[in-house]
Formats: sequence, C-alpha cells, structure tokens
Amino acid sequence: MNELSELASHLVDVARDAGAKDVIAEAMDSMVTQVRFSNSRIDAANWWSEKHVELFVAIGKRLMSSDIRDLTRADDIARGIVASASRAPESRTYGGIAQGRFRYGRSRIDAKLSSIENPSSYVNEAIAGAESEGANNVGGTFFIRRIQTGIASSGGALADDNRISADLSVRAFSQPEASGHAVSCTTHESRIKARATGERAGKLSVMAKDPVQGQAGKMDILIEPLFLGVLGHSTTNMMTALWVDIGFSMYAKKIGKQVASKAVTFVDDPTVDCTSRRLFDHEGVPTRRNMIISRGVLKTYLHNTSTAKRFRTKTTANAGPIVPSLFLAASQPVAFHPIVQSGDWTTGEMIEDTKNGLYMNNTWYTRYQNYSTGEFSTIPRDAILKIENGEIIGAVKNIRVSDNLMSLWKSIDAISKSSEEVFWWDEASPPSTLPSVRVREMNITRSQ
Amino acid sequence: MIDEDLANSILDLAQKKPRVSLAEVRVEEIRSHQLAVKAGEVNSNTGLEDSGMNVRIVLPDGIGFASSNNVSKQEGARLVQRAFKLAKSAKVRTPISLSPEQPVRTTWTVSQKRKLAEVSVEDRLTFLREIDSAVIRTKVKVQGRYYELKDYEISSYFTNSEGSRIGSFLPRFSLESQNLVSHKGETEQSLREFGTVGGWEKADEWRLTEMLPAEVKMLKDQIEKGKRVEPGVMDLVCGPEVAGIAAHESCGHPMEADRILGREMSQAGRSFVSADMVGKRVGSKYATVVDDPTVPGAYGYYAYDQEGVKARPRYLYKEGIINEFLQNRETASRMGTQSNGSSRAQHYLREPIVRMANTFVAPGDFEDDELIGSVKNGVIMHSFTEWNIDDKRYNQKYVSREAYFIKDGELGRPARKVVLEVTTPSFWGAIDAVSKNVKFESAECGKGDPVQGVAVFTGGPMVRLRGVNLK
Repeated sequence: MNELSELASHLVDVARDAGAKDVIAEAMDSMVTQVRFSNSRIDAANWWSEKHVELFVAIGKRLMSSDIRDLTRADDIARGIVASASRAPESRTYGGIAQGRFRYGRSRIDAKLSSIENPSSYVNEAIAGAESEGANNVGGTFFIRRIQTGIASSGGALADDNRISADLSVRAFSQPEASGHAVSCTTHESRIKARATGERAGKLSVMAKDPVQGQAGKMDILIEPLFLGVLGHSTTNMMTALWVDIGFSMYAKKIGKQVASKAVTFVDDPTVDCTSRRLFDHEGVPTRRNMIISRGVLKTYLHNTSTAKRFRTKTTANAGPIVPSLFLAASQPVAFHPIVQSGDWTTGEMIEDTKNGLYMNNTWYTRYQNYSTGEFSTIPRDAILKIENGEIIGAVKNIRVSDNLMSLWKSIDAISKSSEEVFWWDEASPPSTLPSVRVREMNITRSQ
Repeated sequence: MIDEDLANSILDLAQKKPRVSLAEVRVEEIRSHQLAVKAGEVNSNTGLEDSGMNVRIVLPDGIGFASSNNVSKQEGARLVQRAFKLAKSAKVRTPISLSPEQPVRTTWTVSQKRKLAEVSVEDRLTFLREIDSAVIRTKVKVQGRYYELKDYEISSYFTNSEGSRIGSFLPRFSLESQNLVSHKGETEQSLREFGTVGGWEKADEWRLTEMLPAEVKMLKDQIEKGKRVEPGVMDLVCGPEVAGIAAHESCGHPMEADRILGREMSQAGRSFVSADMVGKRVGSKYATVVDDPTVPGAYGYYAYDQEGVKARPRYLYKEGIINEFLQNRETASRMGTQSNGSSRAQHYLREPIVRMANTFVAPGDFEDDELIGSVKNGVIMHSFTEWNIDDKRYNQKYVSREAYFIKDGELGRPARKVVLEVTTPSFWGAIDAVSKNVKFESAECGKGDPVQGVAVFTGGPMVRLRGVNLK
C-alpha cells in the first residue's frame, strides 16, 4: 500500500466503524500543467493541484456520496457522511458494490515525462512545425497530467495506480476559413510528437485552402480518428446502463442485435498502454477489455455492480466517478478507453475508392433530436476535402452531417489499417484509439 | 469562514516577485448538494464541502495561474512560486497589458429567505417526487423521469495588487429534467433545466408540477397530431426559448472578445466577427441583444466579475448593429477599451475567462398575439431539441420540440420537428417584430479547456422572422 490507498483504507474503516455497510473510498492526488497557445504564441500557463478523497457509503439502501477536500478533517467528515446517509431516503434500486478478492496489474510511468520542466518548449516546436507546412496562425493546448490514485472498499478492493500522460492539441490556420487539427497523446516523453503534430495540422490547413460552399445531399464521408472520437463521446454514453435505463439510448433493447456494420468491432480497453489506462474502475474492480460490439452485434452495456444487478448481469468494471461532475451523472458507468479495431485499408485506398465524397478531419457540436432513435447532427470543422472519382479536388465549408447515428455505424464499409489515440477537449473524449473510416451515403445539409 | 488575512498574506508574497504587473489571489468555500431521482427512486445523493484558492500572476511577457484545494500559507507560497515560474516560462513577444480599472473594496451577497443549506434531504426528495407523481398523473407514457436537483453556496474573497478586496456570497440552485415520451411506437425527448440564485423559496416559482406535466402532454400531442412542414420559405415566430438560444449562440458567443482575438481557436473556436466590426450591421433594426449579469434572481447573476470589475448590462447587438464585445481586462487592453466585467470561472481551480451571463433579445412593442396575427403562412417554434452552430458562430440549426402551423393569423395543428438551418445574418436580418414579454431559460454554457460550465440565462420575447427556409 502507498500513502493514498492507506488513506482510502483508513477512511473505509472510519466509515464502517461509524455504521456504514458498503463503503468505497478513492483518494486522488493530481497535478496538471497546461500551456495554452493561440495566434502562434503562448497565452497562459496553468497548474492545478488537487488532493482529495471521494467517498461512497451505504447503510442498507440509504446512500450518500461526497468528496472530502479538506483532508485535515477527513475522519470527522467521513463520520458526518455516514450520519447523513443514516438520514437519507432509501434507494430501492441500489444493487450494492463489488465484492471479491481482486488482483490488479502494475502501474508503469515514464519518469522522463514526469520531470518535464519546460512544457512551453513542446508548444514552440508544434507551432514551428505547423508554420513550416504553411500555416500562419496556430493555437492549441499542451497538458501534462500526473494522477495518483488509491482505492479501498468494504467489498475487498485495495489498490494504487500511478499515471502520467501528455496530450497536445494543435489547430492550425492557413487562411481564416482554412484549418487543420491534429493531436498527440502519449504516456512517454519520447513519443510526444510535437513538431510532427504541428506539421500535420499545418499540412491539413493548406489542403483546406480556398474552401467553397459545400452542397447538400447524400454523400460518402471519410472521417479521421478525431472526428470518430467526437462521435464516440455520445456513442459510449448511450452504451452505459444508466442512459439505457432512462431511455436516452438508441442501444436500448438492442443486445444481440446488429447495431453497426459487420466491419465494426468496438471494445473498451483501459488495460492497454494509453493516456486513460487505469488498473481499476471507481469501485475498485480491476479493469479489463470489454467487447461491446463484435462484428456489428451489440454484446453488452457498460455496467457498474449496481446497474449490472438491475440488468441481471455482471459488472463490466466500468463504474464511473463517485461524485457527479459537469456532464456526468452520479452512478453513471463510463467508458475508459474505446477502441475500434483496425481494418485493412490505407487512407489513400479509401480515397481512391470513393467516387463522390468528403474527407473530414474533425467535427464538433454533436446534438440529438432524439437519443432513443439516434437522429443527430454534427458540424464538421477543420479540413473538409471534396473527393471526386478517387481524388481530392478541393476544400468545402459550411456544411453539417444531419443523419442517424445508428445508420452511420451501420454504413461503415471501410476501416483503415492504421489507428491513433485521440483526445481533444470535451469533444473527442474519453481518450480512444481509432482508425479512419468510410461511411456510405450520409445526409449533408447546409444553412440557407 | 474565509481567512482574508491569509489571502492577503499570499498576495504579499506574489507582489514581491520581480516584474509583476498584477497579482491576484482568490479563496473560495463551496457547500453543495445533489439529489437525483429516477422513476421516483433515489438514484444518487451527494453532499460536499469544498475550499481552495488560486493565484494569478501577470508579467509583461507571461501569465501564470496556479490553484489548489489546500488552503494554507505553505500551499499559498507554493502556488505563488508555481504561477510565477509558469508566467516567466511563457516568454510572450507581444507585451501583455491589462485595462486600467479602479480598485474596489466591497462585499456583495444574494439573500435567501429559506437557506439552501437548511433544506433537508426529505424536503428535497418530496419536491422531486411531487414532480414525478404529477408527470405520472398525466397518464402519458414517460420513460426516464430523471430529475436532478443541485445547489451551491459559494463564498469567495478576492484580493489583488491594485488594492481590490471583494467578498461575496452566492447561493445558486437548479433542477434538470429528462423525460422521454412514448406514444404509438414513437418517441420525443425533453431535456430541461431550471435555475436561479437565492433561497429555496424560489423553487416554487418554477411551478414544475404544472410545467413538466404540460410538457409531456405537449410531446404526446406532437407525436399524435404533428405533421412535418413542406420545405420552403415561410414566416417563423420564435418563442422566447428559441430566441434565447439564438441570442446565446449566434450573438453572445461571437461577441466574446477572447474568441474574436483567437484565444479559443483550438477549442470553442473563433468568430465571424472581427475586432474592427463594431458599428457594422448584422441584423434588422429589431435585433437588440443584451447580456446582463445583474438581472435579479437570474441563474447567471453576479455583481462583480472574477477580476473585480463591476458587472453591468452589455448591449451586444443594438438595433442590428454590432455594438460592444464581452471583455475581460486583457482583451479590453488589446482592443483599447475597458473591461465590462465579463471574466468568470466555474471554480477556483480554473482560470477566469470571458463568459456570458444572462443573454437575451431585448423586448419590443408588440403583443405576442400581434406577431402571430399577421402571419399568413408560417410556423411558431416555441422550443427546440437538437441544435448546434459552427465554431465561427455563423451556421446554426434549431429543430423544434414544440411547434405549430400558423395559417392566416390563426394557430393550427402541431408542426413536428421543424428544422431551421440558417446563417447568423439571415436569422437576425429576418426579424421584423419583437414582442413585449421577455422570458428566460436556464442553461450551463461550456467553454475553456478543461471545459468550464457556467450558469447562464438565455431568453427573449417572441420574435418574428419573415421569409426564412424551413424544412
């Protein structure tokens, strides 16, 4: 045990002594450094330090969660939380927490990444890379995230995890309406491709020059990993048992059904080397590789122990944070690291094989008319390139993909061999490893 | 109780660093509670007490910001050291300056008749279950029935090297509802938020046991009687909810000075508006949009911003003309003007950035009926479901949640999923009448990286657009 799991374990004991039956304590110590840049210069550098313990207690079916942020009074606060739980109304749908003898993997961190003293130098490299390819205005963010976690529960969880990662996001402009976006996400200092990421964003921005008004109609679309990562955000939310339970999911009652084309296999796997790798979920259950969609067929929803009981299945080790946050409900299971398995196409082959289509770098602002049916629209941004008869012939702008998300996943007919880890802002989130894909006959609309 | 002496002593440390043009320290204490009910059963129950602080140091060639949830002199010294080091490392070529602002010494609070902290879990649960029961009593088939109540009491103390000392207390709470109505094998969704500042007494003003049953009945009606429009050009009356989202998305956001200057270029994006467009026309003479943090009781209310600048109404579009951007001290200095108090942060851990507060279309002279009465062939769109806008805030889309046909000035049957996909000048330029009655909606606006959600009102009266494309 290290300091954090000791602290978590101690608070589990305090809460149990105070009368709690089920207890989970997750202690976190994080330091995040961020450099923000725009107009090819650094705007600000930020640093956040947080050390706190998220605590869940249950007395029978009376529940209370909290975030203990003043650790000098942690024991008293923990007792207070148990007292609050004893007065809380019953939650009749509560299904308990994970119980067992858990075995965990080992944390691995790159000490070199941890000891970066001057994050601004990576930003300057990225800007130089983008400018070398023809961009004249470059912006983005560079993060270094150090997160240590210790977890303990009355169900037998006890573990530590130590993670460090870096993520660089670069958006480059060559004209006011011609931009490209690229990211680099890694757990190793040697793999921060600052200059190459800048170069890629810069190159795309040049390809996107002189865009013309895009036309409405049915079209094939080739979407890059970043674009797919943005769609993955809402796709994985709808895969969670909570969203299914409240009806806000196109995957409700679809277990065993075809929900994507046979080319699509979709897993959640935080055990691989990635920026969202983690040893355990927020209940302390060891994480694992979960097959969500196999050759287009939906295999499971994402569960914690309580939702699994309601759905008469077992947890998938996707318990989400104990305390709700801005866009995340309490008790909502979460995906940690979605992966769409690679195919056998090169991006060049996909372009050559497309008669009438659009190549899309990125998108944002994906919103749903109806989550239960999947009708949505999203607004492509950055390079949108027109493909005619297997060749890129120019750039377009001001269009929207207005279609159905289930149809989109079902209409994927080509997947690239290569894939990359992407993570960008709150859009392409959580971090995921994704290929480029071609989607047949999507509906493109535009403003009048 | 915030230790103001501690904050001032940390400020002293920051001021002693070389070349500091501005130092700021903020200490916050937050008490919050969250209770969610799903299908009448408790889904989650969370309470927490939080405290923390931040230090911002501005040098001529860099800005550094450091924050922590540990409030102590030792941690304060660490934050000063870290913020200074980060500011120094930036080495910005163009000198950084801030608009000159008068130092302020004051305290502001929002009062509560019934304190949020004293509302028991039982009372909160009763409140949520009464809503749930009222929805069930409609006999409409509703899945979801997810209702979440959140409240915050935020005490804050701000001090800066220019002599500002501002204490504040802000109680704020909201209710989010998610309902999915099923009827005849079809579904319609409703995601609503109700928010305010003040005490628990304000919860009754929402009248949710009437409002949400009416909402699910309306959605059933949309499914049962609704008909799609024949795509084409017609008149559109936008209800306050639609006018409000347009005000927020295609006026408020593009008028944020940091966005105009490019600071959000890799996340929330840039703006179709450039710094030299003040005075340029973007809409008809009926298009006036105001952002006003000082609207009493508004969800986005504040009296002083996060840089200690007094809040005031900002007329963003005035009679169709680009009038005034939302500014903080840095953007104002770069544009040669004064801050108008638009600097906000979601939490002490995050840097303050330029934000909206309560953004709405200003009222006109017409009665609501008059707007509808002169439409020969059109639609009234009261509310929306799907919506989005591009990152330069020029191409937007609103899909109706509740809409009706208008024929010869009379309301007709429900119009289902009416789509308005329109450019910003086309929207604001098509307005030819605005009604008297402003109504507000609550929302969380996301911006910044990591994304910061801040409480806002959107709103307006009814506005009439002539000859727009609907589908």
